Amino acid sequence: MTVTLRDPTAEISGALRRRVPPPTSLLGVTVALLDIGKMRGDEFIDRLEALLAERGIATRRFRKPTNTRTAPVETLQEIATTCGAAVIALSDCGSCTSCSTHDLNDLDRRGIPGVSVITETFVEPFAAQCRAIGFDGASVVVAHPVQNRTTAELHAMAEVALPRILAALGVAAAH
Amino acid sequence: MPSYTAFLKRDCETCQAVVPVLAELRARGHALTLHVQDDPGFYAALDPRDDTALEHSFRAGIETVPTLMSEDGKRVEGWNRAAWEALTGESGLGAELRLVQPGCGSKTREPFVHEALAATFGPPVLASRGVTLGDYDDDAEACYDRGWSDGLPVVPPTDARILRMLGGTERRPDEIVGTIPPNLAPCTVEKVAINAVMAGCRPEYMPVLLAALEAALDPVFTLHGLTCSTCFSAPVIVVNGPIARRIGMNSGANALGHGNRANATIGRALNLIVRNVGGAIPGQIDQATLGGPHKVGFCFAEAEDDPTWQPLAQARGVAPGRSAVTLFQGEGIQGVIDWKSRTAEELARSLALSLLAVGHWKLCEFFNAILVLSPEHHAIFRDAGWGRAEVEAALREALRRPGRDVVAGAGGVGEGMPAARAAEMIDKFWPEGLLVVRAGGAAGLYSAICAGWTGGRFRAESRPVTREIEA
Repeated sequence: MTVTLRDPTAEISGALRRRVPPPTSLLGVTVALLDIGKMRGDEFIDRLEALLAERGIATRRFRKPTNTRTAPVETLQEIATTCGAAVIALSDCGSCTSCSTHDLNDLDRRGIPGVSVITETFVEPFAAQCRAIGFDGASVVVAHPVQNRTTAELHAMAEVALPRILAALGVAAAH
Repeated sequence: MPSYTAFLKRDCETCQAVVPVLAELRARGHALTLHVQDDPGFYAALDPRDDTALEHSFRAGIETVPTLMSEDGKRVEGWNRAAWEALTGESGLGAELRLVQPGCGSKTREPFVHEALAATFGPPVLASRGVTLGDYDDDAEACYDRGWSDGLPVVPPTDARILRMLGGTERRPDEIVGTIPPNLAPCTVEKVAINAVMAGCRPEYMPVLLAALEAALDPVFTLHGLTCSTCFSAPVIVVNGPIARRIGMNSGANALGHGNRANATIGRALNLIVRNVGGAIPGQIDQATLGGPHKVGFCFAEAEDDPTWQPLAQARGVAPGRSAVTLFQGEGIQGVIDWKSRTAEELARSLALSLLAVGHWKLCEFFNAILVLSPEHHAIFRDAGWGRAEVEAALREALRRPGRDVVAGAGGVGEGMPAARAAEMIDKFWPEGLLVVRAGGAAGLYSAICAGWTGGRFRAESRPVTREIEA
């Protein structure tokens, strides 16, 4: 049966819970790079890792066993205790988008601001999942499809996405 | 011929008994529509309508079955030969029945049913934004996800629950109670009810909760500063008067502790309102350095079973026999153990020693405090012939100290009063700043101190507030 609850707040902000504020700088912050376990995502993250390293930003890689489930609690705990921000990539399907949005929400509730990288086809599913769990999650959108790209093309996608990923993590464009 | 509507259920002897009468009315040419609330098949011979969803019964406002209703809304409840004959203009109805046979309660009036029907079929009452969950969503997790919880589970605020909660007050759902800090957002009675549902309140607690909220919003209570403060404090609610017993509040054993629904949920509801409507999110606008468990909720009733003790509300101007809340800016308790004092004078001096530690031993006229006397400690005063006035006076005397002992730097301690006051005798509390309350279980030579907030140093600007409960 469909359940409808009534908002107990003053409704002076949106119905979605705002994400935890990102840090004002990533200096001294370790950024978790969570590979959702979908093919090709690791190549995107490889380039992202290198680009962040060039900017002096520390990163730590994590990988989910499968994109079709939410991340294991141990992984989320490990991220929350060792990192200060998170990038979750790369969702190019329905199950990955839903599960990675839950992961984004779970990390946010643990105090870790994050951003989910999704393909343009999954903008609305991401928004729908955010609405369903009441979370104003942050995303960065890249081109679709992903699976038939060359590695060089995936690296180029990471380069294009980088400024928006940094902005979502609170870093000004000039960083 | 006029037409009639009858409401029946199988699980009612009277409904079953009037079946021949209904058949007879049909036979005499009356148009008759039957709505059956539980088992239409049982009345199949009468060609009934299925009202197991109770929509028709709800819309017709049925209280009793059987009810026979005419087109113009006149109705007869139960079986009453004269009344049925008067309504239908017939005679000789139900000759085999008794003259009168009372009916049974309509299923629409069973516990929890009416508000659920009102939520489904009634006119829209609630104005708050609806949040519709997916089929597989967990409603308790959904409340956490939206940041509506103080960390403990909340009761999901469904329309039926909110409507039931609103039944606990005569005030309109859209009436604005006040603006809630820190966001200074307007709060309607409906928002109070939603948060009361979430806190676990029963509808009968609403008058206490509304009074507590209004007291908290009295400017001199300084809820805004209290809420955002780095200090420990939060609203502490003391309930006096007959309503405390009526709603089952605890003023006895464990009165300041857990296990009583009214004590636990009224205080929690007030804090949820401040969080959800006011926006006081811990670590964000609520900047408490350490906080304390009392910030979930701290509400108890004074024990008024000893007529020699003047209850707090009466001491603060409320007429005897009336109910009231007193809102105090306080924190969790410090226990005071004194097993050996035998005289009132000894005990007053003993309690004062512990009261000196409120806030800081060397800070005076800075904090208010509540002293909760247990019945055994109170009995020592009572047996000496002391009432509230004598207890307060003795404490006040015992809480006055030479300024040289409490000025900054004295005793090698940096904290303290301004050096200019070294030559004075200084009171620990403002004359009205110590609230003495009696509560607790029968056994135990203990009392409890609930320390106040640093805002108490502004004597004219920040004070406890007592407000009568409209019930």
